[in-house]
Amino acid sequence: MTVTVAAVVFLLTYAVIASDRVDKTLTALAGGLAMILLQVIDQHEGLAAVDFNVIFLLAGMMIMASILRRTGFFQWLAIRASKVADGQPFRLLIVLSLLSAGLSAVLDNVTTVVLLAPVTLSIASILGISPIPFLVSEILASNIGGTATLIGDPPNILIGSASGLSFDAFLVNMGPAAVVVLLVFLATVRPLFRSGLSVAPEAREAVLALDENEVIADRRLLRVSLLVIGATLLGFLVHGALGYEPATVALAGATVLLLLSRLEVESVLREIEWPTLFFFIGLFILVEGVVHAGIIDAVASRLFDLTGGDATVTTIGLLWLSGIASGIVDNIPYTATMIPIVQDLGRAGLPIEPLWWSLALGACLGGNATIIGASANVVVANLAGRSGHPITFRAFLPYGLLVVAESLVIATGYLVLRYLL
Amino acid sequence: MVVRYHEHRDWVPGHGADDGCLARCDGVSGGGGRRRAGLVTSSLRLARNTTVEACQALLEIEPLLVSESADLTTVVRRAARQPATRLIGVTDDDGLLVGVIPVTRAAECIVGRVAPEALLVDVADDASAVHFSHTVSDRTAADVMLLPATIVPSATIGEAFRVMHRLRLGGLYIVDQAGRPSGYLDLLELAVVYVRALEEAGQAASGDDAPPEAGHAGAVSGHTAPEVSGQPEAPPASDPGA
Repeated sequence: MTVTVAAVVFLLTYAVIASDRVDKTLTALAGGLAMILLQVIDQHEGLAAVDFNVIFLLAGMMIMASILRRTGFFQWLAIRASKVADGQPFRLLIVLSLLSAGLSAVLDNVTTVVLLAPVTLSIASILGISPIPFLVSEILASNIGGTATLIGDPPNILIGSASGLSFDAFLVNMGPAAVVVLLVFLATVRPLFRSGLSVAPEAREAVLALDENEVIADRRLLRVSLLVIGATLLGFLVHGALGYEPATVALAGATVLLLLSRLEVESVLREIEWPTLFFFIGLFILVEGVVHAGIIDAVASRLFDLTGGDATVTTIGLLWLSGIASGIVDNIPYTATMIPIVQDLGRAGLPIEPLWWSLALGACLGGNATIIGASANVVVANLAGRSGHPITFRAFLPYGLLVVAESLVIATGYLVLRYLL
Repeated sequence: MVVRYHEHRDWVPGHGADDGCLARCDGVSGGGGRRRAGLVTSSLRLARNTTVEACQALLEIEPLLVSESADLTTVVRRAARQPATRLIGVTDDDGLLVGVIPVTRAAECIVGRVAPEALLVDVADDASAVHFSHTVSDRTAADVMLLPATIVPSATIGEAFRVMHRLRLGGLYIVDQAGRPSGYLDLLELAVVYVRALEEAGQAASGDDAPPEAGHAGAVSGHTAPEVSGQPEAPPASDPGA
């Protein structure tokens, strides 16, 4: 009976999240609470399942990004990008894609697009062209860039916390794959966005005439923010050696920056994306319900039987399953569900590290397949829609499928060559 | 959203329902404090019930009307010749008011075309990005105008203030029944009436029993900018011209 209740609550919650008709935070919280109230798990187990390493890592990064936003840094970057590109739209698209990928690796891809997309929209309006090619390429590049690090994409944050793999382990193992995927993406971007990227000479001149120094709102705060964020990134690189969790490093960075910024703490904390944090809290409780009911064990056992316990088949199968599933459902709940399955497969005797990389590559890169595949996609799509430039599911799909197909092929080769031969 | 007030108020300074209250208060025996309190209340109530028609020309701020197709450079040039008018009215070919443009918004659009980075600094989210896009791309009065916010002459200035406050506008266009602009009420004109009422209330509270109607009626019927300072017994009041 418990198994049935847990399965129904879980599938219902997933279906509602996928339908996008009810706020996903509310849905995840309701699903998690249902697991407790229907006595699938008791309240202590439910609350203990919340991974505060993930919550505080996200909160710490959000605080630092929120302070950095106040400095005008992202506007400065956008103007500099326009000038580096000499006001040429296609070059600008490449530069913004590189920026998007790079920032996603050091902040996270959702924060990156939240900060970069509005200024991209503004630059496109000065150029007098559609922002859609820029926004689509930023989505794709941010998901690729975010794949490279532990903090770059929410699935990686979840995997990092559950597996105990360090920031530098992610960088060393995921970074090369992400770089190759990004280079291939940039090589294929021209035919994808060839049309609609021409500007009038006077619009180009207007962009080149922009003074980037004018947009820096607070030079002192900018210096302090970059210094503290840089130190935090160094902290991530050595957190394993120092014995600190990534969340501790992120919270330390956020606290130091709050202290040095002299900003009103309440106003900064108000800008934390609380819905995202509560979405994670709800998911953790929800997934604990299906783990507790034994569903995850059963699925893992079935998968093990299906692949015959073959490491290569299981690892590559997990990569493609994750890539395809992440295009259909949000990759965060997908990853949260798959983590205990991977742990079970590891306990069954399969080499677990390739499985973690397989899950991470599949979930992060697969998020590019559709406009609902990853949080970054949804954030940009909402912004584009509200600004009168809707990116529809159908319009995004050809770009997404092509990029995911090439990404998964590259990832397959990478996993085989590096871990499975 | 078109906001129009057609509710007619027959209040005339010195002859309204509030006078009854004033008379009753006057009749209270042995109640000097209560009587003074009544005078204060009456003075403020009278001010709120002043009609738009009565106070619209206090500061002689003229309406400023442009056509829907007017280029924003033309709009700003005309606004510069008439700087006291903070809200520009936009009319269609039939002379009906179809929108309003706060002067700051028109000026911002011109700044956005010359030095967009000055506004780019405010772009932090989708709403501000959309606002920025409009600012740099809008070219005509029709592009930039807000929906018309109007009021009829017989409405009270209390009602006018509520509309201005809700829409965050510094003025309102007064329209006739057909929707054609017939005048302009600036927030400052409204404030001047209230400043006068506060001064009278202050006088009443301090025991100076000068009839509030007289001063008030003078303020609203004289159609000239009232003197709001220089009365030694009045409490400190902000300068409406500031």
